[in-house]
Amino acid sequence: MNGWTGKVLRVNLTEGSVAIQDLDLETVSLVMGGRGLGVKILCDEIDPKANALEAHNKLIFATGPLTGTGAIASALCSVTTKSPLTGGIACASVLGNFGAELKFSGFDAIIIEGKSKFPVYLSIMDDKVRLLPALHLWGRTTTYTEKLIKAEMGDLWKAREMCIVSIGPAGEKIANIASLVHEDFMAFGGSGLGAVMGTKNLKAVAVRGTKGVKVAHGNRFLLNTSHLLKRIEKDPLISEKVRNLGTTFLVETLHQMGFLPSKNFQAAVFNGIKNVDSQALARSILCGHRSCLACPMACLKTTETKKPPFDGKGTGLDYNTIAMLGPNLGIDHLLAIAKAYYLCVQLGIDPISVGAAIATATELYEKGILSELDAGQSFRFGKSENLIPLINLIGEGNGFGCILGTGAFRIAKDYEHMESFMGAKGRELPPYDPRGIQGMGLHFATSNSGAYHLDGFTVIDEVLGIHGEPHPLETEGKAWKVKLFQDLTAVLNAMGICPLSLMCIWIDDMVTMVNDVLETHYEVDDILKIGERIWNLERLFNIKAGFTGADDTLSERLLSEPIPDGPAKGSILHLDKLLPEYYRLRGWNEQGIPTEEKLKDLGL
Amino acid sequence: MERIRIDYNKCTGCRRCEIACSLSHVLDTINPRKARIRVMKEGDQFFPVIAGPFTDAACNSKGILVLGGMVYDQCALCRASCPTKPTIFREPDTDIPLKCDFCMLLDQPGPSCVKWCTFGALTLVEE
Ligand code: SF4
Ligand code: SF4
Ligand code: SF4
Repeated sequence: MNGWTGKVLRVNLTEGSVAIQDLDLETVSLVMGGRGLGVKILCDEIDPKANALEAHNKLIFATGPLTGTGAIASALCSVTTKSPLTGGIACASVLGNFGAELKFSGFDAIIIEGKSKFPVYLSIMDDKVRLLPALHLWGRTTTYTEKLIKAEMGDLWKAREMCIVSIGPAGEKIANIASLVHEDFMAFGGSGLGAVMGTKNLKAVAVRGTKGVKVAHGNRFLLNTSHLLKRIEKDPLISEKVRNLGTTFLVETLHQMGFLPSKNFQAAVFNGIKNVDSQALARSILCGHRSCLACPMACLKTTETKKPPFDGKGTGLDYNTIAMLGPNLGIDHLLAIAKAYYLCVQLGIDPISVGAAIATATELYEKGILSELDAGQSFRFGKSENLIPLINLIGEGNGFGCILGTGAFRIAKDYEHMESFMGAKGRELPPYDPRGIQGMGLHFATSNSGAYHLDGFTVIDEVLGIHGEPHPLETEGKAWKVKLFQDLTAVLNAMGICPLSLMCIWIDDMVTMVNDVLETHYEVDDILKIGERIWNLERLFNIKAGFTGADDTLSERLLSEPIPDGPAKGSILHLDKLLPEYYRLRGWNEQGIPTEEKLKDLGL
Repeated sequence: MERIRIDYNKCTGCRRCEIACSLSHVLDTINPRKARIRVMKEGDQFFPVIAGPFTDAACNSKGILVLGGMVYDQCALCRASCPTKPTIFREPDTDIPLKCDFCMLLDQPGPSCVKWCTFGALTLVEE
């Protein structure tokens, strides 16, 4: 079968059993694969109201038809589940080489259900699928876990080819903000998924395969991709910025525009910005560039810090991490930020969420709501000494770390000061001030997985201006743009392509790639429709889980207080104007519920 | 004579070369295990290795290699499809050793791996 292997693995952890089933081709024609397949399976098989941290919840690793084919950035494997953070759907993107290796092992997806009595890890070596004991891996850091599993392989050369996704100690301790790690860098948007894996007592998934993926028009695919690569190489955004600096150049770009949040969104001007921007990074700790499979962008940066106590090395320090652990905590110490990031990777904690949790706690402390007695220590914006011990505490699940690990939303709720939580649907806001970037604001409010940027990353258009001039503050046409980006990203995830690739490819390129591989005759509209279908399916899941249109909103501060200072001073998010237009474009009623006609039109 | 020059410092580990090589030998399947170029990761550094023939006599330097203070496994950087590496540079179904045949990418001149390496780690040089 072109693009697919045609097999899905179903693993029942309660019974310790493994079954192989055929890929449902009807589902695939409706929602493609990846995230689409994941949400479809969840909708069919679990009760959206059930507790995310119980055995009933399932975890779906799903690749898309392009994963592993060499199409631009075709490295993605989606992991879909019901999130403990929001109570709605959540989808993480594992990049690197994992998705491709899963395909090469002969499976398009893995459905993980139930709960094991003791720690196990799943090992897939081509057709040999086994659940192996993982007591010796329990409590280990993610890097060490990968090493130990590889050592168990016996064969040194096969071990080199193994790809492993694991959780760290934070996931084992069921911290709400725990994430997944693969090849020493974080899965994107994985906040909460580590906890789900932890409750299932599943420490890791390891794969190695020797089979291939079929493509329909090998010749055409080789040629078309070569042309695309030539174009991308010449793109200044990619060749000058992303390849050299990853996404970290956004630190200065967004700060200049006044959209980089500081001190838990209480300011937009950060004095120490020069110490944490991409120039500082390039000068001091940047030491290499890394790509996920078949990606021409190489946005992953390897950094090395030499000065104790911040010494360490790691991959994947990006804009989000720097902004959330830096300016949003008032910290301008790049080495401390880098070290904190390495720790997050080792312990398996999502860096965006951890930044937000500490920011919320700090605000509560500074306002006198959280006492030193409760927290076991003092907090202050700008205090970098705190950062590393706090992250360690979360990993250990000790003392106040236990509370921080539940995420910013629950901390604010526990202390009955919701104004200190910045986010939507219980998920923390990534560092893009929605009061400035209007499209991003609307996206955060409406996103199915809570405030998660990559599901509709309009920054590419609004701030980087890849389709013309940047226009962040405008509201005209934004609802349409947001819908377009959301649908496009959904279908990219479903194809198995990294969402950041929207920086260098667009819909027509996606259509060409998918048609070359699958021998289909998709047109632009068909592709967008698949995206829309996925978005609506996710929406329906959330509605069944108890969300309503009233949840399409953001934290109080982001709606009522304008940006206090900086170049964008005074701007607010015009959600009241954008949201009705967005609902109308989506074909939803005023309460944000998809109408019968819309669902019929989408074939749901 | 033309030769492929490898610049390790430019390699990002994207494995596009592996995919291109496998696709240009079996035109309907992508399988990096059938590629005649493999990207080895040692620490944070990637080393593309192009498969060559194995002769007992040439293999006199097994061991470790120290470069710039880092220790590397020399077998990982060696291009021979040799018995020490039973799964590398071998056709997975038949166990036949694989060697680079300096393929052509369709009607365009130049080997596939070089064509698809967008980072300039692989270049064609005249010697
Ligand atoms: S853009 Fe970055 S994260 Fe995405 S596939 Fe490429 S290197 Fe990986
Ligand atoms: S020259 Fe051709 S055969 Fe040799 S490694 Fe490159 S792609 Fe493979
Ligand atoms: S294509 Fe080039 S950059 Fe990518 S892994 Fe191969 S040699 Fe390295």
